[in-house]
Amino acid sequence: MSLLVVAEIQQGAIREASYELLAFAARIGGEVSSLVIGDAALASEFAKRGGGSTWSASDAALANYNVDGYAAAILAAVEASGADTVLISNTPVGWDVAPRVAAALDAGFVSDAFDVQDGRYRRRVFNGKLDAWVRSSAAKTVVSVQPGALPAIDNQNEGGGEVKELALELPKLRARFLETRESDAGGVDLSQADVIVSGGRGVGDPEKFPEVIQPLAEALGGAMGASRPVVDAGWLPHEYQVGSSGQVVTPKLYIAIGISGAIQHLVGMKGSNYIIAINKDPDAPIFEVAQLGVVGDLFEIVPALTSAVTAARG
Amino acid sequence: MKILVCLKQVPHQDARLDVNGDGTWIREEGIKFEINSYDTFALEEALRVKDAGEAEVVVASIGPERVSQALRTALGMGADRAVHLKDDALAGSDALGIAQALAAIAREEQPDLVFTGLMSDDGNASSVPPMLAHLLDMPHATAVVKTEHKDAGLRIERELEGGALELVEIDLPCLIAVQSGINQVRYASLKGIMAAKKKPIAAKTAADLGVAELVGAAAAKVAIEKIEPPPKGDRAEILEGTTDEIVAGLLGKIKELGLL
Ligand SMILES: Cc1cc2nc3c(=O)[nH]c(=O)nc-3n(C[C@H](O)[C@H](O)[C@H](O)COP(=O)(O)OP(=O)(O)OC[C@H]3O[C@@H](n4cnc5c(N)ncnc54)[C@H](O)[C@@H]3O)c2cc1C
Ligand SMILES: Nc1ncnc2c1ncn2[C@@H]1O[C@H](COP(=O)(O)O)[C@@H](O)[C@H]1O
Repeated sequence: MSLLVVAEIQQGAIREASYELLAFAARIGGEVSSLVIGDAALASEFAKRGGGSTWSASDAALANYNVDGYAAAILAAVEASGADTVLISNTPVGWDVAPRVAAALDAGFVSDAFDVQDGRYRRRVFNGKLDAWVRSSAAKTVVSVQPGALPAIDNQNEGGGEVKELALELPKLRARFLETRESDAGGVDLSQADVIVSGGRGVGDPEKFPEVIQPLAEALGGAMGASRPVVDAGWLPHEYQVGSSGQVVTPKLYIAIGISGAIQHLVGMKGSNYIIAINKDPDAPIFEVAQLGVVGDLFEIVPALTSAVTAARG
Repeated sequence: MKILVCLKQVPHQDARLDVNGDGTWIREEGIKFEINSYDTFALEEALRVKDAGEAEVVVASIGPERVSQALRTALGMGADRAVHLKDDALAGSDALGIAQALAAIAREEQPDLVFTGLMSDDGNASSVPPMLAHLLDMPHATAVVKTEHKDAGLRIERELEGGALELVEIDLPCLIAVQSGINQVRYASLKGIMAAKKKPIAAKTAADLGVAELVGAAAAKVAIEKIEPPPKGDRAEILEGTTDEIVAGLLGKIKELGLL
């Protein structure tokens, strides 16, 4: 096996997820080389910290992500390194460019893998309800790896591999980066709340949030949150969204109501100190991260719990 | 302007999922199907371009007979025509096989703009759109939450982590993979549904499109060997009993955590 790890720069530093790729590469086994796009100094840092022989693509046109430039750089590094397996994190950069690179290489593509055993990759399907084991039979394979899947490897003291500038002729860039905009929290800061009561698509319609979810949050002196479909449907503004594209929260108590537990929601709340889940589906993945669960109809349980909490407060 | 929308039919989000006989996918008999949630947003985005001016919206889908239902719904919402690639030879295709077949449809249609969903709700692969864009030699953008026509291209917003956004200028023709929530999706009106009955659905086979060698299990580079429930972690303790007993259990825990 010859592996190419595509590291990613975020806000002037190598992402943690890139060191997780080194762990994933170690699990597959084989010769590791790396590619760092956009910053030669960070390429040497990655080479020193486990990236092995590292290619740097430091053309100024690659300072920000753009699909044509990044795809060209990765393809050139695959060619230069002779890698048969390409690893990239399943981040907004990775999910955008990796399938395109796979198609260009006529490679097998494995998306969002979180484990690998004996050449088989494990990935979640059906929004977390099932796992699939997949195998690539192609000469080349591109794998996008779920951030957080494996603990990062950081070989600080290894001495490190050499850094080479990648010979690269950039194509015309048909998608051009203009700017990034940070999210606007809009005044709802869930990070300070001790208790968060979140409702999901199972709550069913917008009126039920003020009727069922908000009263429990208030009775507990906490804040209300939501999963993405609730926000997508316009039931609540974006500030309430918990998850990978919303807020990451770590309250003392998180109560997930009518939320199935897709990975993008879990990354936003699994660091909570204690998690209670209320869901009518006993197989909902949320029960695998919760400590305490109720399998039942939220419209029966939640109002009764709200009354009991209110009564207990006196 | 001509717009192609790629639309997949997937098991209904609330369908009960049982693993099939050979353990490689779910049992499809007896469950309801619906249009992939992300694709409804993609179709709506295309229909808004049409509402704002001149555009022909063509929907394309690969899948068995049941898919014609999804295409009828899309036509009822306002799409002009549909192409249905329906061929048993497609069974076992991987994402690249699906992308090859969609590319063949796109080459016949020559769209200025291709809209897809970001991800399918069954396979969760997010693979087909960038592959399709490569095969069509078009630029693409994924997780798009806003599109705006500007000069000879589009100005789009891509969603990053934590709600941050990336603004990108992209040339036409291009492929846009839409993130959920980009718009509020319309329902098919009664009038729309009636009109849809007269709109054409062109049925195609892999041979018609010249992709027979590129699709199906034989051409697939990636295959599912096994599907199974996720490993049971430290599963939650499940409270049982009457509602009163359950509520007492929850209240006890909340007190124990010092939150009451
Ligand atoms: C790039 C990307 C970013 C994303 N970012 C986020 C994010 O930041 N946050 C996020 O949440 N999602 C995010 N998602 C979406 C995510 O994949 C899921 O689609 C979403 O989390 C599902 O929300 P849900 O659990 O509310 O809905 P569903 O998955 O539809 O679950 C609804 C649940 O309600 C239960 N239910 C229904 N009725 C009742 C009842 N009466 N009583 C009790 N239970 C009931 C059902 O059993 C079901 O489990 C993202 C996806 C992508 C691709
Ligand atoms: N069988 C199909 N027919 C039409 N479009 C599809 C099909 N499969 C995937 N797509 C498109 O590709 C997007 C991403 O799907 P996937 O790569 O399977 O997650 C979907 O949202 C659709 O727009």
